[in-house]
Amino acid sequence: MPQDMPPTGGYEPVQYRRSLPVRGFRPAYYLVAVAGIMTYGFWRFGQGIREQQELSREKMWSRIHLIPVLQAEEDRDLVRRTLASKAMEKELLGAETKTYHNDRFVRPTYAVTPSNVTK
Amino acid sequence: MAARQPRFNQQVLIDTTPLPDDIPKVSEIGASSAPLLSASFFIGARCKPYNDDFMHCKTEANGTGEVDCLREGRKVTRCAASVLEDINKSCLEEFRKHWQCLENNNQQLWQCRRWERPLNNCVFEKLNLEKKIPGAPEGETPVHLRKRQIFAHSIATQ
Repeated sequence: MPQDMPPTGGYEPVQYRRSLPVRGFRPAYYLVAVAGIMTYGFWRFGQGIREQQELSREKMWSRIHLIPVLQAEEDRDLVRRTLASKAMEKELLGAETKTYHNDRFVRPTYAVTPSNVTK
Repeated sequence: MAARQPRFNQQVLIDTTPLPDDIPKVSEIGASSAPLLSASFFIGARCKPYNDDFMHCKTEANGTGEVDCLREGRKVTRCAASVLEDINKSCLEEFRKHWQCLENNNQQLWQCRRWERPLNNCVFEKLNLEKKIPGAPEGETPVHLRKRQIFAHSIATQ
């Protein structure tokens, strides 16, 4: 019985690798592009941070300029209330009494209701 | 030291007894937050000595500054009132536009540069008060003079 032999000229090369066309650019280009996008993004981010710092500085200083005005108004109101309550106490009790054994000012935690409703 | 108005269940009760006569009277500012914010840098420019004096007085009074610094406080209030009055006299139109913009934009200064610029120019020309932000880095355009505001939500207001 004759044995099977290779064809004359040998077998054709076996295709063991897929030969698909390579899509897109070389990987290095993608790397460079991503790096570029990231750099731009961080640059803009940095600009934003700087601007935000400046804006917060502006806001801070606008408040610093206003604090004395508001505080002065508030203080006058506090002094007015304190003096009024002291006068009322003197009128009602005949003498000023001290709630605490101390000369330090303690903001009163109570309010005397005025006789006529103001609002 | 924020003082709260005493609130009761049914109504707000405020003791309206005025200050005694031996303390000089001063009319309060009476401006709401947006005009004050709009004018704040001009108040700071003109009233800095008074403001510093008042704040130093408060610091050095060791807790009794409310009573001891009434005089300095009156000066501060009068000075700020004079600034507002002057702005109202000479730059009313620009001032109004700017603080109304602030009022409509959550009081964010960077949304209202378009109206801030004419206000600053007008106040600088007529009252010689300049808006300067202390501590801003040198060699950079100050943030209120930049053409483009990154965070503004519309380019129409820049």
